[in-house]
Amino acid sequence: MPTLASLKPGESAFVTLLDEGSYTCKLLNLGILPKTKVTMVRKSPFGGAFYIKLERHQLAMRTEEAETIYIEQKQ
Amino acid sequence: MTKTDRFNIALLGNPNSGKSSLFNFMTGLRQDVSNFPGVTVDKKRGSYTLKNGVEAHIIDFPGTYSVYPNSSEEKLVINILADAVNPHQPDLVVYVADITQLERHLLFATQIIDMGYQMVFVLNMTDLVEKEGSSIHLRDLKQYLGVPIICISVRDEKNMEELESAIEVFVEKRYGQSASPLYQFSDIETFVATRVQKHLGIENIYTAKIIAHHYQWLEFLREDHRTYIRDIIARSGFDDLKLQVRETMQRYDSYSEVVKKTVISSKKTLKSRTDQIDGWITHRFIGPLIFFMVMLFVFQSIYSWATYPMDWIETGFATAGAQINHILPDSWWTDLIVNGLMAGLGGVLVFVPQIAVLFFLLSILEESGYMSRVVFMFDSIMQKFGMNGRSMVSLISSGACAIPAIMSTRTISNPKERLITILVSPLVSCSARLPVYAVLIGFAVPDVKIWGILNMQGLAFMGLYVLGILGALGSSLVFKKILKSDSGSFLMIELPDYKPPIWKNVILSVKEKVIAFIAGAGKIIVFISVILWFLASFGPGDSLLNAEINAKKESESSGLSMEEQNNLTASYKIEASYIGRMGKWIEPAIAPLGFDWKIGIALLTSFAAREVFVGTMATIYSIGNDNDEKTIRQKMAAEVRPGTDIKVYNTATSFSLLVFYVFAMQCMSTLAIVKRETNTWKWPIIQFLFMSAMAYLGALVVYQVMA
Repeated sequence: MPTLASLKPGESAFVTLLDEGSYTCKLLNLGILPKTKVTMVRKSPFGGAFYIKLERHQLAMRTEEAETIYIEQKQ
Repeated sequence: MTKTDRFNIALLGNPNSGKSSLFNFMTGLRQDVSNFPGVTVDKKRGSYTLKNGVEAHIIDFPGTYSVYPNSSEEKLVINILADAVNPHQPDLVVYVADITQLERHLLFATQIIDMGYQMVFVLNMTDLVEKEGSSIHLRDLKQYLGVPIICISVRDEKNMEELESAIEVFVEKRYGQSASPLYQFSDIETFVATRVQKHLGIENIYTAKIIAHHYQWLEFLREDHRTYIRDIIARSGFDDLKLQVRETMQRYDSYSEVVKKTVISSKKTLKSRTDQIDGWITHRFIGPLIFFMVMLFVFQSIYSWATYPMDWIETGFATAGAQINHILPDSWWTDLIVNGLMAGLGGVLVFVPQIAVLFFLLSILEESGYMSRVVFMFDSIMQKFGMNGRSMVSLISSGACAIPAIMSTRTISNPKERLITILVSPLVSCSARLPVYAVLIGFAVPDVKIWGILNMQGLAFMGLYVLGILGALGSSLVFKKILKSDSGSFLMIELPDYKPPIWKNVILSVKEKVIAFIAGAGKIIVFISVILWFLASFGPGDSLLNAEINAKKESESSGLSMEEQNNLTASYKIEASYIGRMGKWIEPAIAPLGFDWKIGIALLTSFAAREVFVGTMATIYSIGNDNDEKTIRQKMAAEVRPGTDIKVYNTATSFSLLVFYVFAMQCMSTLAIVKRETNTWKWPIIQFLFMSAMAYLGALVVYQVMA
């Protein structure tokens, strides 16, 4: 299954599932839940991190953090 | 309770909810900042008088996302909330939520309610939502939470009296218990929580479950209780992580409909202003460029704006010192007051302008939301050096002064990343090194131009700065390897919407940092100043008296003027003092670096602050107090090794001394602030040792290669 890290800048998708691990609770606290719409806005200037937009707020996360978020592009 | 009783209010909420602005509004100047016991987490406490005369204590707790913490600040909050006998236990929780982020901000609120706390739920930024054309309906939310809800806008100070009267009503007659639990336990949770509740004698069952989740690090638990919980968890198959996820999901599910009914938006939001700004600010190429321009401005401001008040403070203390010298009788205690206590006090206050300017600018950047973009942009680079995106800001600020830079690391939540930033920041060349560099580069580097434009001395200056930066990055790599981390590293941060700063918050943050420095480091700095004064003013037996007599004899025989005689006396006296003896005593150790005992004395006295080096050299070479760099340079240039005509300050010695000053921890104020920020003497001592070792080895290599 594709993860959030595989999205290209400008693409959107819906969260399906979180790979349970040490990041999970933090991600939930930040509003990353199943069915949430997420948009990949851009990569960080020196790589390694993403600028993610949710419905009403923005987040930054590292690649390995985004890789624990499974997505599907249609809903 | 009676009306005169103290009453504890806790301000709780997610980061960026406007909680601290509300705190500043409610308490104004009646607040103080200290540390929570045992940790370097700010405890902001204020007092607040209700209309009916009841005096309330308000604590602004660190921003927290949920009862499942990811940072030491959040852990501290849970440590207090889960501990029924903690002295910081609130009588009432004022929970602040940003209405535009209601869904996320409700999570922690429902958990606090389930822990049995009394709550006033404050919805902040409601005017923003209404301006957008959305409408707010509180009926369902009120029913769901079962606590009073107040809509306010802290920024515009709107509806604040409603909050005040809600608190008053509570103080008068307390609300009843709020609604039934908002979270339904699974069988395993019930099994574990009821046993923990019974065995530990805890009133609230949800609190018992929280304790079961966090039994490993909750500080108030007794060892036998810990063992009990460990056993019961092992027996029941209580999966910490899975149950956290279950709970969080269930809570979100239970109120997502309520949230939809609370804020009804009339239109789809277009591309917001924040999106547009971030298109530039976090752009691949333009973003870092903007950052360096912003930092250049910050750096310049500390460097140039702070110079004027610093000069006033220095001149002010010098004039006052001269006056006191004049008025009081000539005795050792006059000297103690002027050259010990006042010098120390001046040494503390002289940093205040730099601290004030830096925190004025940094808190504007923080308030506006820019700082989290910096973290986003530089996370990957700083990660390689074991630091955080925010460390970038601290390291650059160090170029002006390490003290405010180290104080600015509080916002780095990972303890290891913060510690590395604190340890390596002083290696970046600060403004106090400039006078030393200026004097010594004169010897080491000829004043010539290469290729017609580049000045060799200017290049040498730059080389010293680069050397400092390389030293900082290099040692951070070493610390990254050595230091252990107990908390995992992650980025995952909110990039809040851009907002204009609230000036009250900016001003209060400047005030808080200045007071923190004076109160936290001031005592140590004055104390060390007095010790250094003692070592330089007294010597064993009659040695100082003899030095004075010798100086008098010599100046009479060679017919020196009164001023020249005084200068000679000062020179002989410092040589005969304890510190002079120490300088001679360490000479064998520093001889391989090309230093003689005179430099040795200056190294010791400049432990107070690097710039003291120049003044001490002036005294030793009996130049007097005019501190003219040119005169000092001429005197030093003429100095030869006893019995030979080899120059003391040849190129090799000068370079060696320069490298020494790039790396050496010659600043007691920095050590004092590191002590305050790390809450132990361990780190400033380690820092002093490793920087001294770097300085010694660096100077040794340079001298031995060049000589």
